[in-house]
Amino acid sequence: MELKNLSIRQLNNLFVEKKAKPSELYSDIFDTSASSESLLHAHLALFEEKNIEIAKNSDKRFENGESTGLLDGIPIAIKDNINIKGELTTCSSKMLSNYRSPYNATVIEKLDNENVLYTGKTNLDEFAMGSSTENSAFGLTKNPWNTDYVPGGSSGGSAASVSARSSIGALGSDTGGSIRQPAAFCGLVGFKPTYGTVSRYGLIAFASSLDQIGPITKNVDDARIIYNAISGHDALDATSIDNNQINIPFDKSAKIGVIKELMEDGISDESRNEVSKVLESLKNQGYQIKEVSLPLIKLSISIYYLIAPAECSANLARFDGVRYGLRVEGKTSYEMMQNTRAEGFGDEVKRRILLGTYALSAGYYDEYYGKALRARKKMIDEFSNIFNDVDYLISPTTPTAAFKAGEKTSNPLEMYMSDLCTIPANLAGLPAISIPTGLSKENLPLGVQLMSKPLTDLSLLNFSEVIEKEVDFDTFPKGLEK
Amino acid sequence: MDLKPTIGIETHIELNTNTKMFCRCKVVDTDEPNISLCPTCIGLPGALPVPNGKAIEYITLLSLATGCTITRKGMFHRKNYFYPDLPKNYQISQFDLPVGESGKLEIILDGKKDSVEIERVHMEEDTGKSTHSGTGRIDSATSTALDFNRSGVPLVEIVTKPVIESAKEAVAYIEELRQLSIDLNISEGKLEKGNLRFDANISVAPDDSNELGTKVEIKNMNSLRSLERAIDYEISRQTKAYLDGEEIIQETRHWDEAKELTSSMRSKEGSADYRYFSDPDLPNMILSEIFIEDIKNKLPKLPSEIRNDLMETGLDLDQANILGKSDNWIRDLYFDVFDSTKEHSTTYNWITGELQGQMRKLDINFPPEWFSADLLSEILGLIKDNKISFTSGKTILSEVLQKNISIDEVATNNDLYQENNEEKIVELVKNVINDSEDVVQRIKEGEDKLVGFLVGQVIKNSGGSVNPGIAKELLSKELDL
Repeated sequence: MELKNLSIRQLNNLFVEKKAKPSELYSDIFDTSASSESLLHAHLALFEEKNIEIAKNSDKRFENGESTGLLDGIPIAIKDNINIKGELTTCSSKMLSNYRSPYNATVIEKLDNENVLYTGKTNLDEFAMGSSTENSAFGLTKNPWNTDYVPGGSSGGSAASVSARSSIGALGSDTGGSIRQPAAFCGLVGFKPTYGTVSRYGLIAFASSLDQIGPITKNVDDARIIYNAISGHDALDATSIDNNQINIPFDKSAKIGVIKELMEDGISDESRNEVSKVLESLKNQGYQIKEVSLPLIKLSISIYYLIAPAECSANLARFDGVRYGLRVEGKTSYEMMQNTRAEGFGDEVKRRILLGTYALSAGYYDEYYGKALRARKKMIDEFSNIFNDVDYLISPTTPTAAFKAGEKTSNPLEMYMSDLCTIPANLAGLPAISIPTGLSKENLPLGVQLMSKPLTDLSLLNFSEVIEKEVDFDTFPKGLEK
Repeated sequence: MDLKPTIGIETHIELNTNTKMFCRCKVVDTDEPNISLCPTCIGLPGALPVPNGKAIEYITLLSLATGCTITRKGMFHRKNYFYPDLPKNYQISQFDLPVGESGKLEIILDGKKDSVEIERVHMEEDTGKSTHSGTGRIDSATSTALDFNRSGVPLVEIVTKPVIESAKEAVAYIEELRQLSIDLNISEGKLEKGNLRFDANISVAPDDSNELGTKVEIKNMNSLRSLERAIDYEISRQTKAYLDGEEIIQETRHWDEAKELTSSMRSKEGSADYRYFSDPDLPNMILSEIFIEDIKNKLPKLPSEIRNDLMETGLDLDQANILGKSDNWIRDLYFDVFDSTKEHSTTYNWITGELQGQMRKLDINFPPEWFSADLLSEILGLIKDNKISFTSGKTILSEVLQKNISIDEVATNNDLYQENNEEKIVELVKNVINDSEDVVQRIKEGEDKLVGFLVGQVIKNSGGSVNPGIAKELLSKELDL
């Protein structure tokens, strides 16, 4: 079997037993990206030159029995909204096309300590705003399962890269489903951790109260390994929390709730069937399953599209041409700032900035942003109550499988609906994971989403492994074999 | 018709913390631009704010010292507006949940205690500094230079209720606030360095009206003198406009220091909507009961308390206020010297008059390190005990300010000790009486004034070492006057 298809633990075993070397793995990955990149455009930048040296250093550590752990020499792709010192961090925006970060994000500092090798920076919807990676100023990314289709978004480049085996795992960021939805569309595991357990320092903010970094991988164990490496309290992020994990059962004593509202209108039969399939198997194993209702979930998209744009309208104000990034000159400072923002941002980003600015305006705050905050709080209470009854919540990850490129670009509202199932976990700060379970009739992957209460990330991963084992999904994209 | 002015003042106090409000960059005092920066204070993408605990402590101190109610669950908000020296294009500030609310500050106005009500005390970060070339205004500058050293420095904004009635009262309030920030050790309190910056909201309305007039905001007053003049100017401008039946527009006006007038900057109608919302990067700031208790215990003596202490020594309110607003070392010196002399007036006069006068002549801001309250007490003691004259006291003070030398050495070297041995003085007196029969005769005939002449003779014969009072007393006794 080719090294690039193995799990992190399997690779590490081979390295430790000196049956394979990190440099051989990297050469495998390097060759793959040479062909896959032109087809898919998963990466915006590949760090090929220096990685050969970095892989050799890992070789030496394994030779000398001095490896730094499971991630030593493992090629990981990084979404291009996470800062790596000295490298371009573009957020797929014209605004930052020339921007090199002078500092590392905390997650990069942590992965550096593990001697991870970065394959490069991956494509995304501009400033992580989108669900298809079509909103990139540098061209779209294609779905490895069928290149006519989108890989999902906004972490579409990260998902496409892992799926195509041009990396072993990837970091994405998830504000309303941007890890889980592309993972589902590309037949991968996508994990959004409990809000605050992974530092946001150095992640270019979209919506600060919702953003969370997490892994996209081929299996649950890989996600766990990466999560363990990147999580933990960070003094540089005031929203960071101590990662004191709570254990909840994941054996047959675990209680599973099926979210009624996410099995109704707006969800395709195919997506619903995946959940039913998993429930059937869990039932057969003896798990207790019940239907639960979270009425406010139906308001998720409305709440989200007030809170996220409001936060982003301020977060993206700093891109003004004054200190870094694009500058389009004007007669006065203000004109320069206006010209820069007019030219630097794409349509979707402008749409959300305008929406957020409006929602926060005098006279509208209470009616829009203020009301959304109150509704969000109520929804959090609804989740807390449900978690007194059940340990895990199950739903489809997406209403449908991947859609065709260009299919939804002219209808933003329809595009927004593709995040219906994933947004609630961001609003409530819950850990949530998408596990690939099957294929649509067009041979495109479908996933199932699991959520649990805050700080039960590791239990959630353990329970996900139970399902993963049962469904035994082959993550290798059939489309690439053609 | 009589019009009454109403004034509210917003003051920004720059705290003297070592590091900035939301990052760990040092707060620097330098003209060299952009030397204390990091991703957070220049708003690089992905950088996040982490609050400075010391600054929170300081604002809590100030809130408690002004008798404010402390908001246990405070919150930081984003105040959104675009300006090149505001790196994030929003300022982290506080909105509906400031640290302190509803307090008051005692002030001294026209020799009487008064007070100014405080509406709120809130925390925010400072902006960078812009220098617009040419006109000095952003819309017409050919280029703008930016210095972000100041960006992110912690500021406290303290807002009064609209209760101030005159320019003099406004000045008294700022003087008191400045002294308070120094006594709390939360700011250098230097107006010339911009440690305290203030804006005034001014309106006029008929004396018998319950409603306030249209408010005009005055900016760019950077000294107490300009504060006083700007307010006086604005009150008369508005009064004239009112009496002439002109409409007063709600606007921001700029104080022109050179021309001594205010001119319109922008009208409030078109003013910015700051779109305040709670900063999602900074979760609720909870000030615990224990934290607040701890800060209460750290409260030093407040200016009003120091004033009371000074008055208890016997000083009047004005003296106590002057001394209270003097440098710390002067106040300490007063208390220490008073402790040994128990003479409030003499001590006050010597410190505020003689000592500070001589220091000005010597061009020094602080007395030399060897100078102490004991030295001054000793001088005042010697004068009181008639061992030296008042004039000799001044000479000694001048010497000990310049040289590390004992008082005894100065007095001995310069022969400043007065003769207090009565027998010796009596002998001198008798000799003078014997040598001045004519004069004695004339005195006995009623020419009292000539006693002074004889006193002079006694002092002269003693080489200046006899106290004139004692000489006079003994002369009178010998002459049976």
